This record gives sequence, C-alpha cells and structure tokens, in this order.
Amino acid sequence: MTEPVRATSDDSTLVRVRGLTTVLNGKTIFDRLDMDIPRGKITAIMGPSGTGKTTLLKHMTGQMRADAGEILVNGKNVPDMSREALYKMREGIGYLFQNSALLTDFDVFENVAFPLRQHTKLPEVLIRNLVLLKLQAVGLRGAARLLPNELSGGMARRVALARAIVFDPMLIMYDEPFVGLDPVALNQVLKLIRTLNQTLGITSVLVAHELDAIKQVADHVFLIANGKVVAQGDPKTIANDGSAWTRQFFGGEADGPVPFQYPAGDYAQALGFGGAAK
Amino acid sequence: MNPRAPQGNNVVTQSLAQIGNCGLFLLTLLAAIPRSFRYVRETIRQLWFVGAMSLTIIMVCGLFVGMVLMLQLYHVLSIFGGTSASGMVVALSVYRELGPVVTALLFAGRAGTSITAEIGLMRATDQIDAMEMMAVDPIAYVATPRFLAGLIAMPLLCCVFCAMAIFGGHLIGVSWLGIDNGTFWSNMTAVVEVHTDIVNGVLFKSLAFGAVVSLIAVYQGFTTPPTSEGVAYATTRTVVASSIAILALDFVLTAFLM
Repeated sequence: MTEPVRATSDDSTLVRVRGLTTVLNGKTIFDRLDMDIPRGKITAIMGPSGTGKTTLLKHMTGQMRADAGEILVNGKNVPDMSREALYKMREGIGYLFQNSALLTDFDVFENVAFPLRQHTKLPEVLIRNLVLLKLQAVGLRGAARLLPNELSGGMARRVALARAIVFDPMLIMYDEPFVGLDPVALNQVLKLIRTLNQTLGITSVLVAHELDAIKQVADHVFLIANGKVVAQGDPKTIANDGSAWTRQFFGGEADGPVPFQYPAGDYAQALGFGGAAK
Repeated sequence: MNPRAPQGNNVVTQSLAQIGNCGLFLLTLLAAIPRSFRYVRETIRQLWFVGAMSLTIIMVCGLFVGMVLMLQLYHVLSIFGGTSASGMVVALSVYRELGPVVTALLFAGRAGTSITAEIGLMRATDQIDAMEMMAVDPIAYVATPRFLAGLIAMPLLCCVFCAMAIFGGHLIGVSWLGIDNGTFWSNMTAVVEVHTDIVNGVLFKSLAFGAVVSLIAVYQGFTTPPTSEGVAYATTRTVVASSIAILALDFVLTAFLM
C-alpha cells in the first residue's frame, strides 16, 4: 500500500522525473524530460505559455498519464500506481488549481472543511477551528459564509489555497498561485508559502510566471521549453546565466529561442498577398 | 471537431460506441455503490433535488393527462354506450403505459437535464478534478448518489403521477360528465390487477426507466467536453437519448410483461 507523501526518507529528492515523454494531439509536450524536485524546498517551474507546466503537475499527481517515462514521488512510480494507491498518495498532497476549482454548492467554510470531513472523523469543533485557522492565514475568516460566486478571483484563489493546506500536507503544488492577487494579498501569500515551507518542512512546487515573486520565495527554479528543462538553478542567478533561453524569457524579448507566435503558415499568404489565402 | 457536424456513416459507429461506453460506465457506477454508502446525506440531498423538486410538474401533468384522457375516452365510448367503462380504461392506460412513460419523459426533461448540466459544469470548472486531487472518488460522491436518487425517485413520482391522473379522470368523468361515482370506482377495481398493472406496469417499468434516465444523465455529464457548448450539447443529448431509450425500452418491457 502506498502511503501518503510523508518526509520519512533520507533521500533529498521528493519527486524524480526521468525520461518523461508526452504527446498531445500530435504535439510533443515533453521530450524525455528529467527533473528532480528537492525535498523540503520551494521549487518553481517556469516556462512559456503552453509549454506543459500544468501538464507536468498533472503527471506528478497521476491526473494524467504520460506516454513514457518514470515519475517517482517518494520513491513510488506514479504511472504504476493503482487508483487506491493514488488516492492514498494524494491525501498527502495539497493542490491549488489554476482556476481555484471551488465546489460551487458549498460556502467558503465548507469548501475548506471538505477534505477534513471526507478523510477524518474529527469533532465538529476541531474542524471549525482548523478551518478558521487556515482562513485567517489567507485573510478570509470573515468571508467564511460567502458562496464561491460571491468571491473575486483573488479571493477564490486564497480560499483554494486554504483548502490546499488544510491537511498540512507534505507536498503542495501551486498552479499559478499569484494570478489575480492584489499587492497586499500577494505579499501575504508569499509569506504563507515561505512560512509553511520553513515551519512544517513542506515541499512546495510552484508553477508561475511572476519572476519577482519567484525570486522572493523559491529555492530552485526550472525553466522548461520545447519539452525539456533548458535551465535550472537559484532564482537570483538563473536569470543571469547567460543562455539564450533565460536571456529571452526573463528579459521578455520577442526574439529568441522561445517563439512568441504559435506555429503557423506564411503570414503574407494568409492575408492574401502573394498567394491564395487559407 | 464540432459535435453537431454531420459525420456520415460514422453516426452508427459512434452511437454504438456511446452505448458501449455507457454500459461500461454503468458497471463503474454499480461497483461504486458500496463506496457511496458513506455519502448517504448526498444521496438524500439529490433525492430531494430530483424527486421532491419534480413533484409540481409531475402532479400538474398527471392531472391534465387524466383529464384529457377521460374527455377523449368519454367521447369515443359514448358512441358505443360504454361510458361507464371510462374510469377503467383511464386506469389501465395510466398504470400500464402513460404513467411510467410520461413520468419518465418529464423526469428526463426536469431532472435528467439538470443532472447533466450540473456535472458538466463541475467538470468544466475543474471541480471533479479537485475532488480527485482531494482523494475523493467523484464516481462515488457525485455520480452514484444522483443515479441512486433517480432510481428511487422515479417509482415514487410515477405513483404520484398515476394518482393525479386518476384524480383528473374522476374530476372530469364524475364531477363534470356525470358518470356514476360507484360505477367509476367499481369498474376500475374489478379490472386493475395488482401484479400485472401496479407491480409490472407502475413499479417495474418506472424503476427501469429511472435507471436508464439517471444513467444517461450522469454519463452525459461526466463525458461532456468541458466547454459551454459541450455542456449544452450534452444536455440536449440527455433528453434525446433518454426519450428514445424510454420508448424503446417500453416496447420491450411491454412485450415481455404482457
């Protein structure tokens, strides 16, 4: 039986990806990608839009099957896991979805309480206190009785964050956690991610584009493009490592190895100049 | 690919594939029933939603079906001087065919579509994936309670429909057209058989229709593309597929049960 992800091993790597290959609709997303996520650290995964960052998180959590390769989480190969083993593993993982994914039938309180109610038999007073603690941490204790459709995008994201950490998991995956947050909320969320990591020894994996935020919070950065890791290292130094990838991506330049345009035919021809427009 | 685009000869193949996938989904649902017992409250909540909330439409429609049926039968039977048999014929028609079939069609339109739309939107907004990530089985938590609720609600709604239809028939036949009250009830009770008409007609058929409509609704919701057009199309498919399935199954059941 696979155990929930707990820090029981001396191995410094919590998630090890080897030879990951994924092809979706004829497009190669990952081409024998290798990656090691260090245990107890905050790791950021960055890359151009559509490069497969969310897909990578889905592979790590078994939501999506890869065409080839190994994804070892705490030493167990995720693609080989049974449904029961996957669920057991996920009990130890918090996951913040890109669009929050709050349960629309429940209010904020019940959304955060949902994992506790499903997996524990804690007394109601303890559930209440745990939920209020997490809501206080994300600054939304006063919004406990609001419904998801009464929240702004940033508030919904903070509720989803409270839900992701309500179990104090040992691995948290944040998919675009900073989108839609005002500067105050952004600062608090950054502090929260850092505090969780330092006080509980949680391993965090962030998918984000905000370099300034990443510099403040991440210990390690992977830059992926064209299906591979093209650069990795310390967030404060990776932007200056001199490679064409990092220079273009962190400099926000249009020209370089990261294509701004989605692959397409000849522009002039598409506009009807110099041939039949398609 | 636009799901509304005509697909030529593939339609037959795709329909057969859909039926096959739906059958496999049924097996998944049945296998999840033991796991769904821990979500009894969710099943009760769904029972309220698909059952109790459908009562108004079922009662109103049942009343009018009974009233119209009595009007038509009285008109036809008066030609042969057999108006006293009107109540009996209303009862047999309602118990054997109209009750289960019309209730199921209304149920598909009222509850089936909302089940499909709700699950489809849950999928489109990643709520199903979020449950998976919280190690909560969405088949046991979302699909099975709705399936069981439909299964339980349909026979109950059918009984209400039949009662209202008989009441509507009585209202028109006895109170308006002047059929003798005693004749109305005695002819009915003399002919209606508990096993043939109530158990096989009302209960067995409505149970089968409830299973089919709930299965189709849940299946369409779970397999809908996560887009607004996908949800709209899945909702339409629930009504179309349920209606065809109800009428086809009604023929098969009637042929075997008669």
